Amino acid sequence: MTTGPAEIFDLGYQGWEGQRTSRWRRRRAIWRDGVRISLGLGRGAGAKFASWLLIGLALVPMVVLVAISAFLSPTQEAADGFELPSYADYYDWALVPLTLFAAVVAPLLLCPDRRDGVLALYGARPITATDYVASRWAAFLTVAGLAAWLPVVVLFAWNALDAASPGSWLSDNWDVVPRSLASAAAVAIPLTTLALLTASFAKRRAYAAVATLAVVLVGSAVAGIGEDSFDGSVADVISLAGLPDVTVDTVRWIFSDERGPSRAGWLSGLWLAGVTVVLAIWLLQRTRQLVRE
Amino acid sequence: MALLRALSLTKTYGSVRALDGVSFEIGEGITGLLGSNGAGKTTSLKLFLGLIRPDSGSAEVLGHDPRVSPEFRARVGYAPEHDCLPKGVSAAEFLAYMAEVSGLPRSAARLRASDILRHVGLFEERYRPIGTYSTGMKQRVKLAQALVHDPLLAFLDEPTAGLDPIGRREMLELIRRVGRDFGISIVISTHLMGDVERACDSVVVLNAGRLLRTGAVSGLTEETEALEIELVEGAPALQEALAAKGLTARLDGNRLTLEQVTGEDYDTVRDAIVSSEALLYRLAPARLALADVFSTPSEEGEAT
Repeated sequence: MTTGPAEIFDLGYQGWEGQRTSRWRRRRAIWRDGVRISLGLGRGAGAKFASWLLIGLALVPMVVLVAISAFLSPTQEAADGFELPSYADYYDWALVPLTLFAAVVAPLLLCPDRRDGVLALYGARPITATDYVASRWAAFLTVAGLAAWLPVVVLFAWNALDAASPGSWLSDNWDVVPRSLASAAAVAIPLTTLALLTASFAKRRAYAAVATLAVVLVGSAVAGIGEDSFDGSVADVISLAGLPDVTVDTVRWIFSDERGPSRAGWLSGLWLAGVTVVLAIWLLQRTRQLVRE
Repeated sequence: MALLRALSLTKTYGSVRALDGVSFEIGEGITGLLGSNGAGKTTSLKLFLGLIRPDSGSAEVLGHDPRVSPEFRARVGYAPEHDCLPKGVSAAEFLAYMAEVSGLPRSAARLRASDILRHVGLFEERYRPIGTYSTGMKQRVKLAQALVHDPLLAFLDEPTAGLDPIGRREMLELIRRVGRDFGISIVISTHLMGDVERACDSVVVLNAGRLLRTGAVSGLTEETEALEIELVEGAPALQEALAAKGLTARLDGNRLTLEQVTGEDYDTVRDAIVSSEALLYRLAPARLALADVFSTPSEEGEAT
């Protein structure tokens, strides 16, 4: 058999004859891109640094505490002197890195699209502005929610393993799982919504981060001043301005671990949900406006 | 078959009437949406993409009302005039993502991204971050992202903006090739008549929100009944010679123009050139320039 000289054939332009995907698949593509941005995947080391550092700050202390507890557990006396935090207590600490994570990383999902003009391209695709922002929101919520949930999962797993009878402990404490999921949602959903809303007003990530932190810190300051200056129901109402405190109160209510202010935990939860819905509607309207521009 | 249809489209922004009851149809091929700044071109594109709603009238794209559902945009491409590309992402990655958002399966999206980048001449550079590209390369990426999902129709807003003459010529040739070889109909929004004359089959001319004229480009630049005589020297002498034979010519530098000439007049002109000893450079029927569209009324295809 003889072989002739190699030939290169240019097939020219080939159209796409296959089936096109559903709108859910298109939303999932935006969601997946948002998750990758949130974690810095496919980006340089600089893009990964802030994400993983802040997620680590939320998770690692719990891992260290559990490791210390595991190290001490063979010695009964030492173990008795060391107490792991409760599920709700841990959010007193974790809320700080999680808030920083939302403030610093969430703007990456909106600001570059706006600054570089990519929003105009989303507007010309077979999706709506609502699809776009909901997918971005869900993407960051996925990452922030996992970052908020994992420490509690670590504590829950250790408590089960450390119990004299893990099987019976699990059957007695199964309700921790849905409570922990609800708590992670109570932490992550308001933070995600607030951070994306401020990001929708800024083209630069730094401005958005500062704005988010300013909203949280100024709210907390107002709540603190209100609690110091007033008593009773007036102080309770003013204290609702402090988003971190309201979030922790809600988490304590979810875990039936209430020892905060005099107002009922459900009221904190209701207020948090209401504020989040308002922020979400605002975010939706803002994004629609941006895509039209 | 009409791919686009505008019916009495009106859109106002506050006190400014961006579109004032315009009606036109755009068929297959390459069509220029021509007009100066503020003519209503971008507003028209936004209405066709369903990004804004008309105050009155209706638009139809590929048989769909753009206001009802975004699904029709799976077969529509769009390249805006302004920057619209992320800087830190490679062209291959960005195009694959845009194809997926436009409804292509993930594996097909990646294949088509590479394929379309080859067609626009960026195959070798496809893994470089877009931020490192030149203006011409970015314009090609903008074109590529508008085509990556295999649309039936693509809107290109000022596709030659910011390009040097060579880059502009190459981009227009690329657009011609897309329209001719890819079978994708294109609407170019531009204020440059040269772009329309070079690249388009038909044109829709907008002026201050009103439709000025629509039709085939060749029809708008057709030969007229005027005759242009360009001379190296002797233009005044030829003008006198023509006047002596009963023909009135308008003198403009070394150029003479005769209106409403007939076949017999050509013989008269020839004899006048010989008798006046003028040195002829060019003699040809005058063509309407597209610029004339803005200044002359028309009988056919006039604004509706």
